[in-house]
Amino acid sequence: MGVGPPPARRRPHTQRAGWQEAGVLLPRGAGRFGPSWPGSPSPFPAAPLPGSTPAPSWGRHNTLEWDPHLSWEMFSILKQEDRQLAPSPALPLGTDHGEGLGRESSEKRDEEPADFYGLGDPAAKFSQISPYLSSRGSIIKCFRDAAEEGYKAYHLDEYDEDKNPNGIINLGTSENKLCFDLLSSRLNQRDMQHIEPPMLQYPDWKGHRWLRDEVAGFLTYYCKAPVPLKPENVVVVNGCASLFSALATVLCNPGEAFLISSPYYGAITQHVYLYGNVRLVYAHLDSRVTEMDGRPFQLTVRKLEIALQGAKSEGINVRGLILINPHNPLGDIYSQEQLQEYLDFAKRHELHVIVDEIYMLSVFDESAMFQSVLSMDRLPDPQKTHVIWGTSKDFGISGVRFATLYTENQDIANAVASLGCLHGVCGTTQYQMAQLLRDRDWINQVYLSENHSRLRAAHAYVTEELETLGVPFLRTKAGFFVWIDLRKYLHTDTFEEEFSLWRRFLDHKVLLSCGKAFECKEPGWFRLVFSDKIHRLRLGMQRIREVLGKEPQVAKTPSPCQPLEKSIQSR
Amino acid sequence: MEERFLHLEEQRVQLEQRRLEVERDHEFRMFSIFAQMLNILKQGSGASPGPAAPMSWQGFGLAPEDPKRSRTPQGPEQTFPVFYGLSNPGTRHLQGSPYLSNRGNDIKFKSGINDEGNAAYYADKYDEDKNPNGIINFGISENKLCFDLLSKRLSQSDMHHIEPSLLQYQDWRGHMFLREEMARFLTYYCKSPNPLKPENVILFNGCGSVFSALATVLCDSGEALMIPTPFYGGIVNNTYLYGNVQLVYAHLDSKITETNTRPFQLTVEKLEMALQRARSEGVHIKGLILINPQNPLGDVYSQGELLEYLEFAKRHELHIILDEIYMLSVFDESATFHSVLSMDRLPDPQRTHVMWGTSKDFGISGIRLGALYTENRDVAAAVANLCYFHGISGIIQYQIAQLLRDHDWINQVYLPTNQSRLKAAHTYITDELKTLGIPFLNRNSGLYVWIDLRRVSVRKRKLMVVVGEWGCSGNGEAFWRPDLDSLGSDSPPTHPTPVAAPSTYTRAPLRRSCCCFAVS
Repeated sequence: MGVGPPPARRRPHTQRAGWQEAGVLLPRGAGRFGPSWPGSPSPFPAAPLPGSTPAPSWGRHNTLEWDPHLSWEMFSILKQEDRQLAPSPALPLGTDHGEGLGRESSEKRDEEPADFYGLGDPAAKFSQISPYLSSRGSIIKCFRDAAEEGYKAYHLDEYDEDKNPNGIINLGTSENKLCFDLLSSRLNQRDMQHIEPPMLQYPDWKGHRWLRDEVAGFLTYYCKAPVPLKPENVVVVNGCASLFSALATVLCNPGEAFLISSPYYGAITQHVYLYGNVRLVYAHLDSRVTEMDGRPFQLTVRKLEIALQGAKSEGINVRGLILINPHNPLGDIYSQEQLQEYLDFAKRHELHVIVDEIYMLSVFDESAMFQSVLSMDRLPDPQKTHVIWGTSKDFGISGVRFATLYTENQDIANAVASLGCLHGVCGTTQYQMAQLLRDRDWINQVYLSENHSRLRAAHAYVTEELETLGVPFLRTKAGFFVWIDLRKYLHTDTFEEEFSLWRRFLDHKVLLSCGKAFECKEPGWFRLVFSDKIHRLRLGMQRIREVLGKEPQVAKTPSPCQPLEKSIQSR
Repeated sequence: MEERFLHLEEQRVQLEQRRLEVERDHEFRMFSIFAQMLNILKQGSGASPGPAAPMSWQGFGLAPEDPKRSRTPQGPEQTFPVFYGLSNPGTRHLQGSPYLSNRGNDIKFKSGINDEGNAAYYADKYDEDKNPNGIINFGISENKLCFDLLSKRLSQSDMHHIEPSLLQYQDWRGHMFLREEMARFLTYYCKSPNPLKPENVILFNGCGSVFSALATVLCDSGEALMIPTPFYGGIVNNTYLYGNVQLVYAHLDSKITETNTRPFQLTVEKLEMALQRARSEGVHIKGLILINPQNPLGDVYSQGELLEYLEFAKRHELHIILDEIYMLSVFDESATFHSVLSMDRLPDPQRTHVMWGTSKDFGISGIRLGALYTENRDVAAAVANLCYFHGISGIIQYQIAQLLRDHDWINQVYLPTNQSRLKAAHTYITDELKTLGIPFLNRNSGLYVWIDLRRVSVRKRKLMVVVGEWGCSGNGEAFWRPDLDSLGSDSPPTHPTPVAAPSTYTRAPLRRSCCCFAVS
């Protein structure tokens, strides 16, 4: 079936679905044909020559004279014509169908592989220009506009047991709200309240040395590194968003790209784009199970290869691969063999690999084994392997803004540190984090076991409810969320339908994240966050039940996920 | 038990105070060493510049050009470009790392230059006991005089509060409670005629981040902002690293003419000239940056001057970014600071953006808090979206709100003490400078003194390595360390010379001093 852009694109005002964790908006991506839209100059001019000032490289050219929606309409028309000429959805690879359609037809030729990849085009949403802002400033501003709907609605009408019992329950933001008691009592202990002059003064922008020592020790221990990790390879900043931004900026020139499998934590789109002007190339995963794909949404090297080749054929320079492990939103944990394959793939193509392991300690099922890349005896390409971790998820303190990069590559560590002055962490916070990470007794004996058992209980509750509802889902052992399949509640397989279902949830005072927010290729998947107190979960599930109860289930082919579900469960 | 604990705690506090006193004394001593070293340098220079350098620079006077030492005469053609310059941070990129993108190499290389001094400093930090020959840092503009007050205030029990919302994702513009507090604080201390609005306040992890975000949303890549020199060189990096925004310089100099009644005076004429020149070269200038009180000059603009600059900006449809980060560090009644927020009517409120942070005025640069105040909704919305990358811990936001709310402490304890300590340090330094015959700009704000070492010449030139060139290359602060040997056998140091004296300007709080070396 044709890759076709989501229909919603033709009506941008209906497209405001997605906000994501932390109020980030969703990527409006999709147009794999973005850069070749008829009549539109490339929004991403070529990279500057080495040695020259990377001058007018940002979105200056792409906006003022060019209306993406108009281009999109044009493109849609062409596309429809194209379909009329070649209506068969199952177009075999390489079929030439119609001379004279110029560029479109030659693109069409890649129909089959195109199914498996896409190219994010965050600027496509951009519509109004402010007289006060630069072109890129206008684009940056629009990201927020798109984000506002769900997030704003939630903040205006937040659920509170006493004060606002009819408020919105947030099952959309991936936060661990189960362990506030543990963390607040730990952070209130006396050892945390220490101040000395260096903490109040300008720091080394890589982070205070004592903290980097502590981080290295912590990662060595919890990632099971075969040899002690080195403090000089650690750079500390205020959150993973900042790390993605800094890495994108120092690894890619404007307009270049990273490869990522979709669905993925959608905020990465903004993280690499807003400052960095770096795009994402998607390797689309889907729920079909085939001989090669033993489970739904399985990431295989073949899919990465297809996406990479597809991007190359469109002239996109891909500089790296982003892996999220444990995966958000799927909850997948990669085995060591898988990891090795992905890393080998990256090495083969000289790609950097950014491994986001921010959920590494949130593996709540003891039967699951998480393998950090830092645990590997030999990395295929150590100079191009960069690991990200932060305290936001594993310690449930996303408000503290603390994350760390581990890379053996000193060029990259230094370049990121040079951006560190824009991502600094308060000295007293650094001290507290050092105290926290150092306290292995508390982490091992108090925190982790309690956190995991609470996560397990919440997960069990939610999944039982889902089973009762007959909603298929991926059974996972890590993270704060379940990836659920609501496709049978969509009247048609479109993202508009998905959005309207999301909207009905919101109207019913329960906030979820829809698949589009993760650039999922198939409409109808949602991410449901379970790491919240039971009374809120109960109410949330009840509201979900009410919404779904009103929905006539569309008799379609049975969810491919359901039978599989069993096979996954039995693993 | 409790009592005993309290007693111990009291002892601890006393010890701590004692330690701080010692530290302050020590800083004074360090400065004396610095002064002695300068003396050595001067003596070492032996016969050279004739009579001791004139001191007429103090106050608003101007050092008369010494005809013997005046630099190559400048014809009218040469004068023009002197008033104008363009930062070109991207051109210095020498050998690239194969792992980095082009801009990544630029960024890394920049850090290389700027961190040279810092790296040397961190590697060989002076410590009275452990490393008496280490580097003394006169280079970084930090207020270290009030650590005792701040650490005490920040340790009070009202600071230790944690609630769920502080540990969770927040509004990226900052928690509303802190934005409200900041609006109140600025209304009060900037003497705003009307209460400032919390929704116009956006919080960042430092003013560097504010510059970065503003540059990115106001300018496209390759466009420029204008700034008078000398200026705090860190801004070059802040606007360039992510934003790829350059700075156009309006050069000020120390000459006194009819229109320049004081050295380094900023006039609209100079701004006009730089603007026209830049435009004629095809550079798009989107805004003007002003620092008030000025760093490194210490100038405080009068209301009349401010208005002229704002009207100039309006005339040319330029945004104006006002960095008022030293606004409470005016330590003498003779100088009065006027915030633009105190003006009844701004010429172009939609294009006027003000920033302030706690780093300098509260001496807590390690806390990382900067605030932007802008009435422009578009600008606010756009920078807010970059706040993902500049977030501040919720716990810290709570503490800062407590701090800013405590007007009693600020007015009765902190500000008087801070200002009197700054004044004492400033007096000490300027007295020393007078003794040494080193001209300087006598201003009453900021943490630094702008001194004229053009006439300090040394036999061994390499001693006078000037790393920071304020606005010439746009580097930040820097350090140099006279190698003992390089002092030469003719003038062996009479004291164990630890020292490193930094180059670019001298600052009052002792350890933080820096001098303007214009090497000749």
